[in-house]
Amino acid sequence: MPTVHDEIDNYLAADVHNELSNEERYDLHAHLVECADCRRLHQETKIMNNALEETLASEKPDIAFEQRMLAAFRNRVPQKAGRTTTLIVDLMRLRATQITAIAAVLLALVQVGRMITGEGTTAPRNREYATQEQFAAQPAQAPLPSSNDIGALSKSAIRQDRKTDRLAAGQSLAGPQKAAAPAESQTEAKDEKQKPDEVDRAIAAGSTIPAAKEVGRNPAETPVPALANRKLIRNAKVELEIVRFDDAIQEITAFANEERGYVATSSSEKQANGKLKGEIVVRVLPENLDHFLQKIRVLGELKNQTLGTEDVTKAYFDTDSRLKNARVMEQRMIDMLKKKSDDINDLLQVEKELGRVREQIEQMQGDLKYWDSQVQFATVTIQLTEKDMEEPAKFLLKERAQLALYAPDVEKIYNDIKALASPKTQITNAQLDRDNTGRVSARASVLIAPEESDAQIARVKTMGRVENFQVQTERVAQGGTGMSENARTKRDKVELNITISREEQEQALQQTSLRICTSSVDDKTKELRGLAEKQNGRVRSSSFSRDPDGREFANVSLRVPMKDYNALMQSLTTLGKVENVSVQRQDRTGAQVDETNAPADLSIQVYSQGNIVSQETGLFATLRRTLGQSAAAIMWSLRMIGVALAFLAPWAIALAAIIWVARRVVRARAGRSD
Amino acid sequence: MYRAAIHGDREAFGMIIRIHSRALFAIAYGILQNREEAEDAVQDALVKAWKSGWRLRDPEKFPTWLCMIARHRARDIFRRRRTVPLSGEITEPVESEATDTTALDQQLHFALAALPELHRSALALRYFEEMDYRSIEKLLGLSNGALRGILGRALASMRKELRPALASLE
Repeated sequence: MPTVHDEIDNYLAADVHNELSNEERYDLHAHLVECADCRRLHQETKIMNNALEETLASEKPDIAFEQRMLAAFRNRVPQKAGRTTTLIVDLMRLRATQITAIAAVLLALVQVGRMITGEGTTAPRNREYATQEQFAAQPAQAPLPSSNDIGALSKSAIRQDRKTDRLAAGQSLAGPQKAAAPAESQTEAKDEKQKPDEVDRAIAAGSTIPAAKEVGRNPAETPVPALANRKLIRNAKVELEIVRFDDAIQEITAFANEERGYVATSSSEKQANGKLKGEIVVRVLPENLDHFLQKIRVLGELKNQTLGTEDVTKAYFDTDSRLKNARVMEQRMIDMLKKKSDDINDLLQVEKELGRVREQIEQMQGDLKYWDSQVQFATVTIQLTEKDMEEPAKFLLKERAQLALYAPDVEKIYNDIKALASPKTQITNAQLDRDNTGRVSARASVLIAPEESDAQIARVKTMGRVENFQVQTERVAQGGTGMSENARTKRDKVELNITISREEQEQALQQTSLRICTSSVDDKTKELRGLAEKQNGRVRSSSFSRDPDGREFANVSLRVPMKDYNALMQSLTTLGKVENVSVQRQDRTGAQVDETNAPADLSIQVYSQGNIVSQETGLFATLRRTLGQSAAAIMWSLRMIGVALAFLAPWAIALAAIIWVARRVVRARAGRSD
Repeated sequence: MYRAAIHGDREAFGMIIRIHSRALFAIAYGILQNREEAEDAVQDALVKAWKSGWRLRDPEKFPTWLCMIARHRARDIFRRRRTVPLSGEITEPVESEATDTTALDQQLHFALAALPELHRSALALRYFEEMDYRSIEKLLGLSNGALRGILGRALASMRKELRPALASLE
C-alpha cells in the first residue's frame, strides 16, 4: 500500500483543491508534521495554487460569455421549419423503427430467395402434416368426418377421409395411450386389402379417436355405431383386361350365381381390328361383394378398381318418417271427406290436397323401394377389354417420290406430263411459273395407282436431265397403334411431285476460273467467244472495264457440256498466257447424273497490264499521305489516353478515399491517446 | 432536456449552451491557451453538436460527448496554428526579477504550456469553474479517481518549473 509520502503530489493537489476526505486530510497533516520535505512541497503548492488562481482568474470568460455563445449559435444555425425532418429523424432514432426496418429487409431477402429458387408455399404445409405434435395441437385443421355425413361424401371425399383417418391414427400413437395399436392395424389392413367393411370401421374408429383422447379410453372399447340399422349402398367399378370376352362373360355369370347374385346388364362392342370390349353390371349381396371382387380378379389383368359406399341412412329414415306423416294426413283427409261437408268448394279443396299428398306418398315409397333394392344388392360394374385392344387392323404403305428435272424447254415437258393423265394416273396439281426475268419453272403433283407407278415414273425420268430423285415410304397403321402380326399391308397410291426447271438454272458439275494475260483485251475476248461457240458453249455473261491505271479487264462466263470441256481448255492457250487456273468439281452423291452432258462453267478474265506505277507520286502526294497518317496516329493515341484515364480514374478515387479514411482514423486515435 | 436537444429542440439546446459553454471554454482554453481561439472552438463545437446530435444514442452521455467534440475542435485549431512558429517560444524570457508579478504570470503560462493538454484542460476546469473532481472526470470521460493523479502530476511538474520563482515569492 502506497504511503502518503509516496503519493504526496496527489495528496497536496487534492488538499489545495479541497478534495481530501477527513481521514486523508488527517493522514496528510500527520505526515507533514513528520516530513520536512513534504512540508516544503506543501508550502510551495499552496503558493502556486494562489498564483494559478490569480493568473487564471484573468483568463476566465466574462459574464456575457454565454450570451455571446448563444447569439453566435443562433447566427450560425438559422431557425428552419424542418418539422418533417425532425419527425423523420425522431422516427429513425426509434429502436422499434430500426428493428422493423431490419425485419422488413430480411423478409424481403427471404421472399426474393423464394422467388429465385421457385419454392412454393406447399412445402411447409406438408411438413405441418408430417409433424404429428403440430397436427395434434391444431385438431381443427383436419376435421374428422362424423359417421353421419359419410353418406354425403363423394368417392374422392371418401378417399380423402382415409388419409385423414390414417393421420388420426398416427396422432393417437403419438399420444400417451397405447390405445392406437388396434386402430393402426385396422388402417394397415385396409391399405392392403382395401375392403370397404374395414374402411368403414376404420373411419368410425378414426372419428372416435379425439373423443378417446379426451376421456382417456381405449378406442377399441368405444361402442361402434350399430351397422345393422344402417342403410349403406355399396358399389364397385372394375376395369379388367381379359384374353377372350365371351369366356369372361361366362365366368362372371357363374361367379355371380355362386355369390347369389345376378347379371343385371351386359353390353359388348366389336372394334375394327376384331377385338371386343364391353360392360357387364352384376348385382350381388353386399356381404358377398368382396369375395366376388376377389374372384373376378383372376379373369384377367386388373386395370382399375374403385369401391364406394354411400350412407343413405339419414335420408332413408327421414323419408320414412315423412311417409308416415303423409299417411296420417291422408287418413285425416279421407275422414274429412267422409263427414260430407255441404260446401262443395271445401270438398274440392280437400280432394285436391289429397291428390297431392298421395302423389308425395307414391314418390316417397318409390324412393324407399329404390334404396331398399340398392341396399339389398351391391352393384358391380365391370368393364372388360380384350388384350391388344389398340392393335391396328391393317397397314397402308404410302409412297412419296420427289423428282427434279432440268430441260431446255420447260413448257414442252410440262405439257407432256399433263398428257400422262389417265384413270390410274391422276394429276392433282400442275403449275407453270414465269417470273419477270423470263425464267420458267413448272411443278406438278401426280397420284399414280400402285401397279402403274414404276412404269410412269420411269417415263417421266426420260423427259429431261434428272437432277434429283427421292422416294419416301411410310407404313401407316390403321385403326390402332403399335405392331400387329395378323394385319394386312396394302400398298397405297404413289404421290409423285415433279419440279421442272430450265437447264440454265442447273448447277454446274465443274467450275473453272482462270486468267489470261494479253496486250489487246478486246480482240482476244472476241476470239474467245468464237472458240466457245465452236465447242457448243454458250456465253452466259460478259463484262469489260478499264481502271485509272489503264488496265483493262474483260470477264466472260461460259457454259459448255462436260464432253467438250477439255477441247475448249486446250484451245484457250492460243489466246495468251493462261494463269491462276482453279477447278472446282461438285460430285453429287446419290443422284444419277449424266456425266457427258452435265454442264461445266468457266469464268475467264482477260486482262492487260496497264501502267505499273501509281499516278500519285511526287513530293506533295507523299507529304499529304504522311500528314494524313500522322493525324490518324495522334487521334489514335488520344483515344488510348482517354481509355487509360477511364480505366485509372476509379482506382485513383478509391485510393484517395481510403487514404482519407485512414488519416481520419489515425487522427482520432492520436486525439484519444492524449 | 438532452433528449429534446438531440431531437432538435432549439430551446433545450440553448439551455445546454448556457449550462455547459463555460466548461467547454475551459477545455478549449486548456488546449489552446488563447481566449479568442477557445471561443471559436466552443462555437464550432456547439454547431457541430447541433448538426450531428441525432447520431448520439444515449442522451445521458451528451455532456461528455459535447466535451469530446470541443476537444477535437480545439485540437484541430491547435494543429492548424502549429504550422506557424510560436513567437512565445522564441522569445522565452529568462528573467531574474522573480518578484515581478507579470514575469510570474508569464512563467506560469510557460509552465502550463509544457503540460499535456489533458492536464491543462483539467486545470482550467478546476480553476475557471471550480468544479469538483467527480464532475471534471465525468466531463472528460475519465475513470473514477483518475483526476487526482492527473492534477497531482500537473501541479508537481509546474512546481518544479516554477521553483525559483516560488522560492523568491516566499
